[in-house]
Amino acid sequence: MSQSPILFIADFNIDTLALHIANSTMPGIVTRVAPYGAVVPALAAGTPEREWMSVVWTRPESASAAFQAALEFAEPDTDRALDEARALAHAIARFARGTRATFVPNWTLSPWYRGYGPLDLRPGLGVAGLLARMNLVLAETLAAQSNVFVLDTARWIAAAGPRGWSDKLWYAAKSPFGLPVIEQAAADIAAAIEGLAGRARRLVILDLDDVLWGGVVGETGWQGLNLGGHDANGEAYADFQRALRGLTRRGIQLAIVSKNDEAVALEAIDRHPEMQLRRADFAAWRINWDDKAQSVVALLADIGLGAESAVFIDDSAIERARVASGVPGVLVPEWPAEPARFRVALASLRCFDTPVVTADDRARSAMYVAERSRRESLTAAGDPGDIAAWRQSLDVVVAVEPLSAANLDRAAQLFNKTNQMNLATRRLSAAELMDWASAAHHAILTFRVTDRFGDSGLTGIIGMEFGANGRHARLTDFLISCRVMGRGVEETLLHVAIEHARASGASALAAGLRTTARNAPCLEFFRRSGFRTAPDTRDGCHTFTWDVVQLYERPRWVTLRT
Amino acid sequence: MKRDQALQLVYDAIDAVNPQLPESRRLAKKPETVLVGPAGRLDSLGVINFLLTLEDRASEAVGAPVQLLDETSLITEHERFRTVDTLARHLEGLGRA
Repeated sequence: MSQSPILFIADFNIDTLALHIANSTMPGIVTRVAPYGAVVPALAAGTPEREWMSVVWTRPESASAAFQAALEFAEPDTDRALDEARALAHAIARFARGTRATFVPNWTLSPWYRGYGPLDLRPGLGVAGLLARMNLVLAETLAAQSNVFVLDTARWIAAAGPRGWSDKLWYAAKSPFGLPVIEQAAADIAAAIEGLAGRARRLVILDLDDVLWGGVVGETGWQGLNLGGHDANGEAYADFQRALRGLTRRGIQLAIVSKNDEAVALEAIDRHPEMQLRRADFAAWRINWDDKAQSVVALLADIGLGAESAVFIDDSAIERARVASGVPGVLVPEWPAEPARFRVALASLRCFDTPVVTADDRARSAMYVAERSRRESLTAAGDPGDIAAWRQSLDVVVAVEPLSAANLDRAAQLFNKTNQMNLATRRLSAAELMDWASAAHHAILTFRVTDRFGDSGLTGIIGMEFGANGRHARLTDFLISCRVMGRGVEETLLHVAIEHARASGASALAAGLRTTARNAPCLEFFRRSGFRTAPDTRDGCHTFTWDVVQLYERPRWVTLRT
Repeated sequence: MKRDQALQLVYDAIDAVNPQLPESRRLAKKPETVLVGPAGRLDSLGVINFLLTLEDRASEAVGAPVQLLDETSLITEHERFRTVDTLARHLEGLGRA
């Protein structure tokens, strides 16, 4: 998705942003700029292809004549200004239906504009108040279009400081935004595109000493740590922990890699009264004296995530360099020495942006705890015979649901971020996924998985296509979250796909696997699945088939709910 | 303003506009780099962004407004803006004035 071209539409000269994105933020991406000022005709013309993305950036005074009049202190016509805002928003929404994604920076005033001073937020009079309402109309109108993202221009201008806005630039080049704003905008748009492509980071791996708390717990014990209380650094550590806990509510996991005595460190996490994060907030930990790069690799294997999903935070430049070189793909940001700068450093990473936040994301903390308990019970199971009994003891339930408006966001999220157990690695937006599922001879089924440890949520999807003659069925998509791999869910999905193919009258089900750098586990699974390998001459492709007349039994320990 | 400081200001402005140029066309931070004119690599928007960035930084450095972007002088005093070196010399002169 990241290589989709971008069309820029603006009522000012937006060339600098297009150039910055094409040459620095996303090198090589194709960009095109619509003639500036011709926003409505450009929106009506649409993008050349549906795969295009777009940035639509307007100024409020050109979006609304009523707002322009209010800027010049005419008596505000609020209703008219809001109607004009709504009309433009509807035009953008119509345009966006023909794009993969559309980004709309919201409306701002120049920072020097003071309006009515102390009255400027007063309803029915103030210009800033009117603009806030127009922005609300813009955001609410566009919320119905899931591939439109309204971005916060005011934050860019605030972050840019006094060089963010230039009237002189406006008069010379018809662009009011200085280069620092352009950099902020480009970085946010690129982060959003990375998120749409399923490349948002999902795991923060943390050091402990001088990261989550001040001091060395091995030397002072938990009683001697600087955390919370009436101390500037202690408060900063506590606030940093709160910020991290906030990430878990967006579906981002936390983990620990620390050189420490495990018992001593866990005692601090359990007993320090000012700890904001407790043991249950961490998906996994490796607290030992091993090389940190090795610990990170082992931890990622435990959780089932790739290095590209992880961020590593450590106060030691040596440890950061070791992990950066030893575990390619992990994001290892420079980290400030002062704890007062930790929250800002975390917020500036821009690697956690996702196109949706689903109910599954919000519930993910509980899922992590369940997964850790599950792993611990598997470790306790020991030999293969015990593992069979362990699987039996899980009480796995797989519930099948067709794709619907209720599960579309989560299904699209899974589509775009699943790498390892993914047959075709198709990346589709929510709208594209629903369009595909609604087409004739297509079906998308989703799967929720629960067991005695908890609800893993919507963690599996199959896509199927049926030939017009009804005899052949094709498994177009087969993807499973790594969270539920190894519990018989994979075989259960194949069982459902084959039963579905049989019900449609097909005699064979073919699965075309396209290899990627990350989906070797899927290839291995299909090789041992019992499907017959069929010749496939395309590079990196494998075809597996199953004669539908033959039953494909689901694992006995899995209960299937349809 | 000393020569080194003037050069550094120009280099900082180059750092600000280089991200808008393709990797192969970025401005080198060298005195002989051509900024304006037929051999320059900045288009008109790039020149404006460059000079406004430099104006801001030079104004901070000398503690008074510095005006570089003037369409008339860009045409009539083109030589002043031609290279990193000539522009730095111009800034030195402003600092002395």
